[in-house]
Amino acid sequence: MGRYSKLYLYFLRFSFSRAMEFRLDFFFRIVMDTVYYAVHIIFFGVIYGHTSMVGGWNFDQVLIFMCGFFLVDALHMTVHANNLWALPEYVNKGHLDYYLIRPVSSLFFLSHRDFAANSFVNLIIAASMLIWAILRYPGEFSPLQIMVFLGLLLNGAYLYWLIHMCFVIPVFWTHSAHGFQMLFYSLKQFAERPDPIFQGLMRRTLTTILPFLLIASYPARILFEGLNTTILIHSGLVSLGLTIFLLWFWNKALRSYSSASS
Amino acid sequence: MIHVKNLRKEFTVHRKPPGIIASMKALFIRDTITKVAVQEVSFHVAEGEILGLIGANGAGKTTIVKMLSGIIHPTSGSVDVMGYNPWQRQKNFCRQIALIMGQKAQLWWDLPAADCFLLLREIYQVDPKKHQEMLEFLLSILDVRDEINIQIRRLSLGERMKMELIAALLHKPKVVYLDEPTIGLDLAAQRAIRNFILGYRDSVKPAMILTSHYMEDIERLCKRVVILLNGKFVFDGALQDVVQQFSAHKIISVKLHKPVDLTRLNPEIELIEDHGDELKFRVMAEDVAHVSQHLLAKIPGANLAVGEMNTADVIEELFQEKA
Repeated sequence: MGRYSKLYLYFLRFSFSRAMEFRLDFFFRIVMDTVYYAVHIIFFGVIYGHTSMVGGWNFDQVLIFMCGFFLVDALHMTVHANNLWALPEYVNKGHLDYYLIRPVSSLFFLSHRDFAANSFVNLIIAASMLIWAILRYPGEFSPLQIMVFLGLLLNGAYLYWLIHMCFVIPVFWTHSAHGFQMLFYSLKQFAERPDPIFQGLMRRTLTTILPFLLIASYPARILFEGLNTTILIHSGLVSLGLTIFLLWFWNKALRSYSSASS
Repeated sequence: MIHVKNLRKEFTVHRKPPGIIASMKALFIRDTITKVAVQEVSFHVAEGEILGLIGANGAGKTTIVKMLSGIIHPTSGSVDVMGYNPWQRQKNFCRQIALIMGQKAQLWWDLPAADCFLLLREIYQVDPKKHQEMLEFLLSILDVRDEINIQIRRLSLGERMKMELIAALLHKPKVVYLDEPTIGLDLAAQRAIRNFILGYRDSVKPAMILTSHYMEDIERLCKRVVILLNGKFVFDGALQDVVQQFSAHKIISVKLHKPVDLTRLNPEIELIEDHGDELKFRVMAEDVAHVSQHLLAKIPGANLAVGEMNTADVIEELFQEKA
């Protein structure tokens, strides 16, 4: 683990020195994500202008949930997104070759080599918004609740990466430009809604096979419903199951990798 | 070190005629064909040996190298590299191999080589002291010490290739795959890289496989070659034996004392070189005697010598015949 941390420090160093060279991109990404946050808060502001509760949650609760999601999203954008966006091109143009012959996990290397330093500011903005949302909440949370909430948000970021990766991997067979990433971004919108509004089969699907509701909504429930072991066990088991599936899927994909002629 | 037996690789490729209607049809019905890139190839490479893998474009050389380094899976056959099955990609296997592809960069474009080398030190878990010693050694023999802190994208092609070689060999691999390492380089850079590869082979004694379209690379570096034609194995042996096995021709050299009127010669005799005071003819081996008689008759006082064809020409001829 220490070795992978060291490797990640190198990735960070390289990514920061590269990002500073492209100033316009650096500032554009900050503006882009800030607009994204604003649009979502305005969306819920408009809804709560017509009703006081949605799925049993009031606006203060939804604000914490949304800011929690922003933090997860900013983490994903900073740590993983660039890498996953680049993966289809790597597969289609045969650039994966050198990554596969290194004595480190190819999945780790390809998912983490590019740290989006230009999204790092957004991470700070999202974290600040979450602190603001918690501080303005009329009720009180215990320190343990806050810690478990943050732990589950980290698990949410991990799940976000797992699901996103599962939608990119089909590119090994389809050789399309993006894999199924467009589908992922459409489905991802489920993670931006409070889980109590979903019922029946859809709820079961979104909490197991496509666990978008576990990314930010389940963690938020720890704050509003108290420490709930069912949520903890459920989140842990789903993360474990999806990890096993991803490792199997990745190895299967690598078997199909055909590289590209030189 | 490397044992390859009956290695085969098939690719399924999608074939689509041009035009929008064909594109729409291809959405629902795919016309696929199976392309055999490598057919039952077998060979071995010993420690300290550089094996030349030669063949025309599309012969399957790079596909073989990629299978031996674990990048792609074969359709059938077996490979043993230092006791490992490459496509299991065990960490210990990866730590002991290196792959250099002349047409693909492994170094990070926006970073100086020095940074990339540090990352590779961490990836291969090389002791910092040993890493520094090896780096000093490689930098001095490739003469790129002054370029180590310059961004890769600002280096010339030759300098970049030297950095790629350093990056690949810093962890002292026991097996090295060189896929067209001199492609696109000027003659001086090609020579420097060849000398470096020979020096590295002598000091570290790895098993090496070299693919190249430049026959000079093969002639200078490899004593043994494997020839592939359209994915099929056709020859495994010493480079000098290629001529005997594949050339049906001999070269007759004629030293001239005075200029000669070439129209007096039989036009069916193929003149391949005319240097003024020396002519070279390519003739079928069984015709050497009577062509020699004809030449002596038409060019009185000429000195004749019969020799073998150049290896490079034989191989080129072979590729053209089978293309």
